[in-house]
Amino acid sequence: MAKQQVPIIEGLFTWPSQKPQLLASKCKKCGSYFFPKVAYCGNPDCPKDKANMEVVPLSNTGKMYTFTIHTAQPAHPFRMEPFKPYGVAMVDVPEGMRVLGMTTTTEGLKIGQAVEMTVGKLYEDAENEYITWMWKPVEK
Amino acid sequence: MKPMREVAIVGIGQHPWGQFPEKSMQDMGVECIVSALKDANMSWRDIQSAAFGAYMWIADRGGVPSLLMGTSIARMMGETGIPMVNCVNACASGQAILREAVLAVASGHVDTAIAIAADKSAGGFFRPQLRDASPTKFDRGGENDTDYIRFCMTGETNPAYWAMELRRRMYDVGTTDEVLAMAKHMTSEGAVHNPYARYRKVFTMEEIQASKYIADPLRLFEICATSDGAAAVIVTTMENAKKYSKKPLLVKAITIGTPTFGDPTIRLTFCSAFPRPGVPDLSESRNAIKAIYKMSGLQPADIDIIELPDNSSWHYLVYLECILGLKTGEADKMLMSGKVHPITGELPVCSGGGVAAQGEAVVAQGLSQVCQLVRQMRGECGEGQVKKTKLVNGLAQTYGYAGNNAACILHKAW
Repeated sequence: MAKQQVPIIEGLFTWPSQKPQLLASKCKKCGSYFFPKVAYCGNPDCPKDKANMEVVPLSNTGKMYTFTIHTAQPAHPFRMEPFKPYGVAMVDVPEGMRVLGMTTTTEGLKIGQAVEMTVGKLYEDAENEYITWMWKPVEK
Repeated sequence: MKPMREVAIVGIGQHPWGQFPEKSMQDMGVECIVSALKDANMSWRDIQSAAFGAYMWIADRGGVPSLLMGTSIARMMGETGIPMVNCVNACASGQAILREAVLAVASGHVDTAIAIAADKSAGGFFRPQLRDASPTKFDRGGENDTDYIRFCMTGETNPAYWAMELRRRMYDVGTTDEVLAMAKHMTSEGAVHNPYARYRKVFTMEEIQASKYIADPLRLFEICATSDGAAAVIVTTMENAKKYSKKPLLVKAITIGTPTFGDPTIRLTFCSAFPRPGVPDLSESRNAIKAIYKMSGLQPADIDIIELPDNSSWHYLVYLECILGLKTGEADKMLMSGKVHPITGELPVCSGGGVAAQGEAVVAQGLSQVCQLVRQMRGECGEGQVKKTKLVNGLAQTYGYAGNNAACILHKAW
């Protein structure tokens, strides 16, 4: 039987889902987006009222703003087993937000390329695979 | 409210940067206080107010006494009942506590104050301090710990962030590998005669460019190490300064910079940004620089010597541009021209080798920069003294993660 896929940290994207989406907060007053979710709008001119904030799933497509290939292994509590070099990217999504995330590959990454959000495994135990959100280059 | 008084630096004390497993942070802090007091011809009982850098990595080492550094060090120096405050503003803490000491004197609250920071940041990549054996059971406090989230979910280390900004810069303005290596090579020439630097050697272009990638396009030798380090700075009124020092340095301006809403930078410890029109990147750093020029009435052309936060070669370039008000890409040309050579340049930058040669000791870094400016402006650096003789205004800026920045301008006052 296939292992269950479990987010390393819950509540950051819709899951389980065929088409996972990052969960952001949107301010109903000024339209600003925040990820991860926040209790209050970070716009200094907005009232600090939790009722103004709604949780919205972000578009799961975007454009690569920049990236790096990380070859050194970070310390605990980062876990990737087995460790291999990985990509980290900043992606501009249609809502006007720039979002961080790992990439599904270290090959062929380019600034400006189209990407979509998916999930990927970082490590596993006897029952579960532990996943995070990742940006995947889209062939065009 | 009374008008503010002018404040001058009259004593500095610094511990070399490096790794000192035989000493505690508090030991190193005491050594610096003793040196600074000697430099200012003062005794500990002359100090009327103190501000301390509070250690950030207490889940790894040091524990609560290293967070409450003031009363911890007071137990060693001898308790005198004076006001003490502990401050963490990430890597910008050093100048944040100097500001606290300066304001205590400027306001008339006290006449003499000290800023002290001691740090043991050694240990590779900085990591989250949340200790959660079961990260899937994220508690309410943990939801706000975007540092933990970015680290575990995206693998974004500090150099990863710097490398991403750098790759975009290379794409936008064509910064080359050679320029990145030159930032390290040139600053390393300043470190050779700096007794406080950890790496007192010249790194050749070849060895820098042959060093392995940590986070492509940044190489091992283009990223600062993490170090143990400590420093202390004593300030008093300009009026009293001559009593304590033949060469007092007027603190012409000092401030803390924080970000502007809408900054497009995904700052370290965060996972996203919501860019808004007209808001620049690194707004916390630009806000700090704008403020110290306004306070001092000076402009970039008036600055004679600079200590900037070269935590990586990327930092060197963007902070040179930030401080001098240059367009993105112009720092590359200025660096390659040799104008900013640490010793021989017409505008010496990172005269002691900078953060690259020291390795970063988080909360102490800003004070180390200030100590280096003071030594150069006093003309005390011996073989490491800059060739330029007109050193009237010196500027130091410290980078700090999560949108923390600080900067100051010192002015020759003798």
